[in-house]
Amino acid sequence: MRKRDTTGEYAIPNVEACAAARGDEPSMDSDAFGGFYQRSAPGLRAYLARVSGNPALADDLMQESYVRFLCASHPEGGEVNYRRYLYRIATNLLRDHWRRPRAASIDDVPEGFLAVGDASSRIDSQAMLDPAMAQMRPRDRQLLWLAHAEGYSHREIAEITGLREGSVRLLLYRARRKIARLLRGQMVTERRRG
Amino acid sequence: MRFRGCSAEKELAQALKNGHWPEGCTEELRAHVAACSACSDLALVNLAFRKARSESAHEAPSVSSGLLWWRAQLRRRNAAAEQVTRPITIAQLFAWTINLFVLALFIVWQYGHGLRWASWCSDVRVSRALHLFSTTVAKLDWNSLLFVPSLGALALLSLLVVYLVAEKS
Repeated sequence: MRKRDTTGEYAIPNVEACAAARGDEPSMDSDAFGGFYQRSAPGLRAYLARVSGNPALADDLMQESYVRFLCASHPEGGEVNYRRYLYRIATNLLRDHWRRPRAASIDDVPEGFLAVGDASSRIDSQAMLDPAMAQMRPRDRQLLWLAHAEGYSHREIAEITGLREGSVRLLLYRARRKIARLLRGQMVTERRRG
Repeated sequence: MRFRGCSAEKELAQALKNGHWPEGCTEELRAHVAACSACSDLALVNLAFRKARSESAHEAPSVSSGLLWWRAQLRRRNAAAEQVTRPITIAQLFAWTINLFVLALFIVWQYGHGLRWASWCSDVRVSRALHLFSTTVAKLDWNSLLFVPSLGALALLSLLVVYLVAEKS
């Protein structure tokens, strides 16, 4: 059973507090982890890349998420819960990254953002979705991806993001309305072009 | 704030989840979605995200699971090693504190007795070098010789107790 922190949310593992420090054996063996990684990594990377807008950062955060996941004592309930827990770790890492003060640099600008106008080399969904996603707030991008790409319920999204279920519902409704408007605008522009 | 969505949203969401939209849905639902902005937004956004998700599902991860497993093991070991060495660090800190305290106490105590040992230095001359040992022994305060080892032994015992308690916790 996982410990709850003072806010009632499940505590996110860190190295000092994790099972490793107690010398426990990992609750998943190498082969089981390999299978879980193969099944969950593409989805997690897509989530981090779409929400952060930075593929390199997404790779770093994905690796850190898995390492922390392995260091933690896992929730009960099998792979569905493992995956949700992994997304929660990744979401917190993203939040920590955004909170960290840093100097703006050209290296921080993802290539995808610089190439937003050139959709010819990209597949349709990316050409449509990426420019719209770039105009959304990070939290809205998180909510939209978790709800529509991963298919999580409001309750599950609340657990992953730490928001209240009612807030998720309302924020998601607003975010969906906004991105739908942007997608329609994008579609009109594409039609005019070609 | 209370929020109420469209009544058909649940049905549409289920159809989207099962991949039944739009062909597998009733004409009534399709007509509703065409007229309802909330439902048409839901259908448009859901399809766009699901397509993006399915395209990214084929991307191979940039690192192998074995590397991540190894990194996690390394981190676990480092954390465990840090946990083990923590009592030793605490004990060392405690020992330093006790030693400094004993030294300070000794200096204060000797100062109270007029710093008799300071006179040893003035007695040391080349001509009297051979008599140094006998002079020193004669002028030593034997009480101090007993007091300092007692405090040292006490410090060592305290150190041992602290170490054992910290290790147990």
